[in-house]
Amino acid sequence: MRVFLCALVSVFLMGCVTQPTKKDMSAFQAAAPRSILVVPTINKSLDVDAPNYVLAALPVPIAEKGYYVFPVNTTKYVLEQEGYYEGERIHQQSTPVLAKLFDADAVLYVSINRWDAQFALLTTVVTVEFDYHLVSKDGTELWKENKRMQYQPQSNNAGHPLATLIVAVVNAAVARAAPNYMPLTQQANQQVFILGPNAIPNGPYWPTAAKY
Amino acid sequence: MRYLSILPIAAILAGCAAPSLYQWGGYDQALYAGYKDPAKMETLRVQLEKHIATMETSKQKVAPGLYAELGTLYLQSGASDKAIALYSQERAAWPESKGLMTAMIQNLERRQQAKVEAVK
Repeated sequence: MRVFLCALVSVFLMGCVTQPTKKDMSAFQAAAPRSILVVPTINKSLDVDAPNYVLAALPVPIAEKGYYVFPVNTTKYVLEQEGYYEGERIHQQSTPVLAKLFDADAVLYVSINRWDAQFALLTTVVTVEFDYHLVSKDGTELWKENKRMQYQPQSNNAGHPLATLIVAVVNAAVARAAPNYMPLTQQANQQVFILGPNAIPNGPYWPTAAKY
Repeated sequence: MRYLSILPIAAILAGCAAPSLYQWGGYDQALYAGYKDPAKMETLRVQLEKHIATMETSKQKVAPGLYAELGTLYLQSGASDKAIALYSQERAAWPESKGLMTAMIQNLERRQQAKVEAVK
C-alpha cells in the first residue's frame, strides 16, 4: 500500500518537473552486476588527503542501492600488497585483470576533479567535483556520471550593515580555514547513485515491492 | 483544509525517502577519521567490533564488507587468526565475496604454515 502511495505521489511530483533525458542503461542491465569493486580514487585536485576521504564515502550509498561492495579499505590493502599505492596506477590497469583479482562483477573508478575552497569577496566557495565510471568485468563501460557540488555560506542579513559584513567575513574565514568537504561529497554520491535521474539501477539486494 | 491534505503526503514522502538496507554503526565516518589520523584506525576497530556484536545479538544482517574490514584491521596488527575467522564470516554472509575471501584465507594459512615450518 505504501509503495502504491509513494508511486502515486511521485507521479504527482514528476508532473511538476521536466524530465531530464535518461541515459541508456541497456549495457548495465545486460551485465546485471551483483558486486562492485571500488578502487582507490584518482586525484586531480591539489589536496593530497582527498582520495582517501572520498574512498571512505563511497561504499555506503552503493551498498544501500542493493549491491555487494567490496570492503574499500581491504581492497586498498590488497592492492598495496600487490605494489599498487597510487590511484593513477590502479586506474591504468585493465579492468578484466582487476576484476579477476577480486572476483568482482564490475569496477568503479572515481576521479576527483575539484576539491577546493576559493575565497571571493566576503565569501568562500567550497567546491567538489567527481567523475564516476563503472566498467564491467569484461571491459564494457556500464555507466558514467559527473557531479559537481558547491557550498557558499549564506550571510544572513543581521540588520545593521556593519554587523552583516562581520557575519559574512567570519563565515567566509571559517569556511576557508576548515572547508567542510564531506557533506558535499556525500550529497554528490547520493545524487549520482540513488536520487539522480541517471542513478544506477537497483542492485540484487534491493528489497522488491513484494517484500513490503 | 489545504494543510490537512499536504500533511499526509509529507508523511508518505518521509516514508519513501532514504530507505536504509543496513545499519553501518558509523563505519564511514570512522574510516574517514582513520584516514585523517591513522591513530584513529584503532577506534574504527573497536567500533566495528561492537557494532558487529550488536547486529549478531539482534539477529540482523551485518552490512557488506564490515566483517572483512575488521579482519583486515586485525591482519594489520598481526592477528592473522582473527583475520581468517572474520574473512570466513564475510564469505558466509556474502556469496559475492567468496573468491576474494577464499584467496585471502588460503594465503594467510600458507603464511602461517610456512612460519610453523620455519620454527621446526
